[in-house]
Amino acid sequence: MFRRIWALAVKEFYHLRYDWWMPAFMLFGGALELILVGWATSRPMTNLPLMVLDEDQSPASRQVITSLENTGTFTLEALVFDETPIREAMVQGSIYAAVIIPPDFSEKMASANQVPILAVLLNGAESTPATAALRAVEGLAREMGQEIAVKRLGIDADEFAGFDFSVRTWYNESFSEAYYTTPAELALMLEFTVLLFAALAFSRERELGTLEQLLVMPLTSFEIIIGKSIPVVLVGFFDFSLMLSMVHFVFKVPIRGSLPLLLLLALGYLFVELAKGMAISVFSRSQHQAFLLVMILGFVDFMFTGYAAPVESMPKFLQGVAQFIPAQHWLAILRGIMLKGANLQVLWPNLLALLILGLVIGAVSLRYVRRALS
Amino acid sequence: MSLRRLWAVAVKEYNHIMRDPITLGLVILAPTVLLIVMAFAVTVNIQHVPIAVLDYDRSPTSRAFIQRMTAGDDLDLYAQVDEFEEVDSMLLRGKIKAAIVINPRFAEELLAMRSMPLLVIIDGTEPQSGALALDHIASRTEEFLSQKLAQNLEALGAPSDSLQMLDLRVRTWFNPGLKSKNDVVPGLISLVLGLPAMSVALTLAREREHGTLEQLIATPVGRSELILGKMLPYILVGLVNVVLIPTVAILVFRIPFHGNYLLFFLLSAIFLFAILGMGTIIGVFIRTQAAALALSFLVIFFPAFFLTGIFFPIAALPEVMRMESLVLPGTHFAIITRGIFLPGVGLDVLWPYAIMLFGLGVAFSAIAALFFRKKLG
Amino acid sequence: MKDNAPIIETHGLRRDFKEVRALDSLDLTITPGELFGLVGPDGAGKTTTLRLLAGLLDISDGSATVAGFDLKRQPEAIKHHVGYMAQIFSLYGELSVVENMRFFAKMYDVTDDEIGPRMERLLSFANLTEFKDRRGAQLSGGMQKKLALACTLIHEPEILLLDEPTTGVDPISRREFWGILTELHLGGTTIVVSTPYMDEADRCSRVGLMYDGRMIRCDTPRRLRAEIHGDVVVIRHEDWRSVRHAIEKTAGILQVQTYGEALHLVVDSAEKRIPQIEALLRREGLRGAEIHQAPARMEEAFISLIREREASVESTQEV
Repeated sequence: MFRRIWALAVKEFYHLRYDWWMPAFMLFGGALELILVGWATSRPMTNLPLMVLDEDQSPASRQVITSLENTGTFTLEALVFDETPIREAMVQGSIYAAVIIPPDFSEKMASANQVPILAVLLNGAESTPATAALRAVEGLAREMGQEIAVKRLGIDADEFAGFDFSVRTWYNESFSEAYYTTPAELALMLEFTVLLFAALAFSRERELGTLEQLLVMPLTSFEIIIGKSIPVVLVGFFDFSLMLSMVHFVFKVPIRGSLPLLLLLALGYLFVELAKGMAISVFSRSQHQAFLLVMILGFVDFMFTGYAAPVESMPKFLQGVAQFIPAQHWLAILRGIMLKGANLQVLWPNLLALLILGLVIGAVSLRYVRRALS
Repeated sequence: MSLRRLWAVAVKEYNHIMRDPITLGLVILAPTVLLIVMAFAVTVNIQHVPIAVLDYDRSPTSRAFIQRMTAGDDLDLYAQVDEFEEVDSMLLRGKIKAAIVINPRFAEELLAMRSMPLLVIIDGTEPQSGALALDHIASRTEEFLSQKLAQNLEALGAPSDSLQMLDLRVRTWFNPGLKSKNDVVPGLISLVLGLPAMSVALTLAREREHGTLEQLIATPVGRSELILGKMLPYILVGLVNVVLIPTVAILVFRIPFHGNYLLFFLLSAIFLFAILGMGTIIGVFIRTQAAALALSFLVIFFPAFFLTGIFFPIAALPEVMRMESLVLPGTHFAIITRGIFLPGVGLDVLWPYAIMLFGLGVAFSAIAALFFRKKLG
Repeated sequence: MKDNAPIIETHGLRRDFKEVRALDSLDLTITPGELFGLVGPDGAGKTTTLRLLAGLLDISDGSATVAGFDLKRQPEAIKHHVGYMAQIFSLYGELSVVENMRFFAKMYDVTDDEIGPRMERLLSFANLTEFKDRRGAQLSGGMQKKLALACTLIHEPEILLLDEPTTGVDPISRREFWGILTELHLGGTTIVVSTPYMDEADRCSRVGLMYDGRMIRCDTPRRLRAEIHGDVVVIRHEDWRSVRHAIEKTAGILQVQTYGEALHLVVDSAEKRIPQIEALLRREGLRGAEIHQAPARMEEAFISLIREREASVESTQEV
């Protein structure tokens, strides 16, 4: 039996060699993509172009402008003299925020009880950078407000420790964006790679008419399944290892937990997605269909992993559904091991869930595929 | 170039698509599903972020503070704990996303207006919850603080309004609540409308795999006739989505639409031309459908996701990628889509992007036609 | 009056695929109206030749002219004059018979008013009229080939290049097919057809025998058959297995082929060997065998020529 399985697997590898573009893309394309995308998305919001309309033109207002630049979030795009260029730039989308300093700013600042005003205009058409800009300006406003308050109230500046509380960010002390984004991208790429690869396994043979040939050979459907799975598992695992090392060495995301455990669990997760992909592949009549189904199912999965929005924010009902998505548990495991240094003791619920889901999906898929093949 | 032959190729391709209703259904459905999933993810209000509180002070002040923190739906008090290890364990297990540790001299410090004795710990592994928790905590702390300070001042006999901090007036254009969904969803629309490009990448590879390419290239059909003829039916399918998807966005997600729909339709057609051109180039070079799929995923889908300014502003991208994003039809179409949805701008502002899209379409089609050789092997 | 200037002419035509030389130095001349057969084992270069002539492959070396156009410089111009039929079913399974034909008619710029009548004629020609709305994928193998042929004829080309058009087709369809080809031949169409069937080679005006990328013989079927080295002897006996076993060791036997219950042998000299064989069989107790000389057929001639070629190749290698 093993010889037959091996022969089938070898045949599959020959296919891969002929059509070497496909595994090449999946392996190296995926890794390359991860680098590019990881790099692009892990950069914090800095250098956002800012326009300032300074109607006050005083040392105080100039101080404000300098402070704005010093936040690191902004680069001063232009100092303008009326609102027109601001409006134009917003419509075109070339700035995300503008600050207007009214003419009586320094006067009010220096006074004993008048409230100075700052206006900030946000480009609502680009909410992500606009929100970041808003935060930065709010932060600055708070600081400035506190300074004013301290001065006016005659509070001893030395004693005053500031009203900002301390913030500690655990697992990500350097506050590197890459810590957030790259593990999730890694998980996503792995899922899609394996799903796509597996989904093409049988749908391709069905489309090209070679499935019949395969079925008349003296292979049991079980052997066929294993034989077809071997290249997917090998390529998928290699891909994961490659991307993991990239995430670790290029983006410096640590692996604080046990690496062997991580690899083992990755393999386990791989099998789950493999099972799903096989089911898709047998269900589809053509590669095109298989691909579209992978897109649809993959993205639905993706939604539940919490990559885009945390699961707690979803309606109760959907939160329940999320527990049945293997990718959700896998991402928790991945993040847990890499960033939190979690071990089995901590992760066992997710592991158990993954195991159960895996067995169920695997068994159902196996039955379905076997039936379809005979 | 013979229009007659081009049309015949288009009709054949159209018949092929129509006679496979399942695939056709999926081609139309997939972008819609993607939009719903992603829009949902983006429009979900982040709420019920679980936090834990460790109160070393246990004064009326600190209790009032905790009350203020957990009022409303944003933050959920998962547990009030007595030991720091519990905080540690909960964070590790992901039960909480943030924790507040209240110093033992909280009320005292506050009364003396010396400092804000608070430690906030957030989970640094998830992009959303931790940051949002921090936000909420910060703004509520500020509220609490100003209230407290006002009380203190009154007790001291000083006018409480002398504590006014800086007045920050915020005006948001095009999107009053700065609701991220209002601009991200149009961006998503521009993303999913380009999905058929991946299907088009398959057509040439499919003819190669099925062997029908041989008979086809033995005929005098021209390369551009073949390329353009194969694109046409997919533009048609794409246009079906141009009607369907904004409808879903507007009805289901209540995205405002201020612009001219006819203009949107026309500009979408140009976008489809451009992005399908991109897909066709892949089909020209790749021999099998599987490889074409893999490649189109990497070259069309992921860049469209990350480099077109939909989720991450282009200004924040490094120079090299900014150049790359200019060549992607999705970048220009995202601007067009957002422009038409939100500020409702017209052709007078959008014409450069329309020209750019058209140019890209011509360039891509030309490249595809040029590199496509009517030869086997 | 037939114009005897060649309609297809090649000089040193060569085609390489990475490490394999699929076609080597082909010099071929085909006159208008010929029915030319390309014969040879798998991998001999027949398909490569046809594809080159149809403009589907790049030329690695050499030159060729088809219908007056240079193959390297004007491949697209040739396509209007040539009808090419691929070896595998290369038409659209999801389109019906008429839809396929109409598509190819438009590809070949057949005018709108011509399409209707030509399709009708070709459909009845090919006995496909009652299946005209059936999808390509649902046709039988024979019908698929006939459809493919009809699609190559829709533009009434002067030259037909057919790659194994009858392979995998039932005998009746095969006969119909050749009926069509004969009519076309009589009508003046130049036909180049590749075939693995030797009896079909016999129907051609000339046959080119290909082996290992080269054309080793090009002549009329009769002359080719005469080139066989040796004589053909046919033995009929019920227990042909024992007969075969018995004569295996006999000297002077160049080929043995089994045909049902008969054995076809090629011997160096019928005169010498027939009595020898008769004696041998009698000694072995195999009585009642019919043994007689028979005229050479293409098959035997073919195998004989190939053996000769192999032998000469070996001997040059030894040197």
